Amino acid sequence: MYLQLTDEALTDLLRKNDHLALETLFNRHYKPLCQFCAVYTRDYAAAEEIIANLFIKLWDGRHGSLILNIRSYLFVSAKNLALNYNQKKKEPVDSIEDINICESKFQDRDTPFRILSSRESYAGILTVIDTLPPGQRQILLMSHIDSLDNHQISTILGISVRTVDTTLYKSIKKLRLLLKDFRRSAS
Amino acid sequence: MEDNSYKLIIAYFEKTISDEGLNQLQEWIEASPEHLSQFSETIQILEASKSYFKQQVYPEKTWSKIHAHISREDLPQLAKRQGRKWISYAAACLICCILGTALYQYRPGSSEIYQTVSNRNGQQARFTLPDSSVVYLGGGSTLKYPKNFNGKIRNVDLDGEAFFDVVHQSAHPFTVTTGDITTVVLGTSFNIKAYDTEHKVAVTVKTGKVAVMAKHNGQDQVIKYLLPDDQISINTQNGLYTFSDISANDVVSWINHDFIFYNTSLEDIATALEHHYGIAIEFTDPDLSKVRLTAKFKNITLTEAMENISILSGLAFTQNGNHLYISNNNQKGGKIMK
Repeated sequence: MYLQLTDEALTDLLRKNDHLALETLFNRHYKPLCQFCAVYTRDYAAAEEIIANLFIKLWDGRHGSLILNIRSYLFVSAKNLALNYNQKKKEPVDSIEDINICESKFQDRDTPFRILSSRESYAGILTVIDTLPPGQRQILLMSHIDSLDNHQISTILGISVRTVDTTLYKSIKKLRLLLKDFRRSAS
Repeated sequence: MEDNSYKLIIAYFEKTISDEGLNQLQEWIEASPEHLSQFSETIQILEASKSYFKQQVYPEKTWSKIHAHISREDLPQLAKRQGRKWISYAAACLICCILGTALYQYRPGSSEIYQTVSNRNGQQARFTLPDSSVVYLGGGSTLKYPKNFNGKIRNVDLDGEAFFDVVHQSAHPFTVTTGDITTVVLGTSFNIKAYDTEHKVAVTVKTGKVAVMAKHNGQDQVIKYLLPDDQISINTQNGLYTFSDISANDVVSWINHDFIFYNTSLEDIATALEHHYGIAIEFTDPDLSKVRLTAKFKNITLTEAMENISILSGLAFTQNGNHLYISNNNQKGGKIMK
């Protein structure tokens, strides 16, 4: 019965202390939320922990808050919590130094040749994806989360749908170039 | 044009492509070998980036964590409904009878003269009630009691924190009223912390036995009998309560100007310090008040206490007259990154 209820109906029930409503919302959104969160944290265990706390917060605040769209509320909160987490880790993921380190790592150990010729070429490409500008990387990855379409990504990130689309294309274009460079330098 | 081709490839990859789009894509790929490699490279990239989410998630494990949190909040409520139902009902009836007759006999003397003792924050008082029971009244607390305990019951009203050492008189139960919560004893020592503004009543027993009752639909019902080192903490807004084992000596350490905190949130520590030292403590970020600490302060000054807290929590504090601000240390230097 609960499975057929809309998010809005469940949010109303949640305000009436209904456990099942929380559980239904949890089951409905948990996986995409974790995936979404992991785009920022790059760490699934941390992402799962963040989402657990998010639902605990949702439950504790069930009386005080007036949430109109629980779905975007959850994703936007997940994003903020993930960013807080990254900041607290004191390893600013997007700093220039980090990217330089990454690139120097490539030259030393993981030469593109080795990356691309290895059997795990996905893992190789993923490593290259991590060198993309953060915005491009996030949108490229998020576009694969099943229940998130470009419209939703645009509302959550607060940018236009058009920007989401073009950023996605740009990221692929950039990746192709990067990969091509690596292939060329390897051969 | 290039954007459009990406659009088609992505639609193809996600299997949302229309027949028309598929034809378009096919024509475009066949148009040049360059296009074919763009197509295969893009598909490869999309597959690789999708594999980022291959990792398994564990909803059951996470849910059990959330569930534990929710049920921790609800358990006492359930226990209240089940538990030893009939015993508590019987006890409630009995006490209601006693109270009923007591109140009945009490009526004629309702022209009782009351005395009120009030402490400002930072003050603390020790005094003796007419029946020679001893009361320690904490900072920011008020106790109202009749000048003579004429009636069948000895009743006092409390807002704030007090430690009672009650003289045993089996014919005259001693009751402390704190809003809707009433504590009934015959002769024991116990601590009550019930600041109106905190919407929380905590009763801790040092010696003897205490009954804690709540007004429910206009009638007093026993919530719990407490024995030494038992503590009940009741949220007066939603009626939920928690029951715990605690060292009563630690709880009443405040009467000797000592503080003992076990895994206590800074928020609670701050209110305790506010009442004791007569200051106002503010957090620059409400999240900071959730930090938990364990600490013992033996009769030390506010500055010493704050310095210790600052070391333990890693937070900074600044004092400005009667106002004390607790802030995040890191904020001072500004953020280097981003």
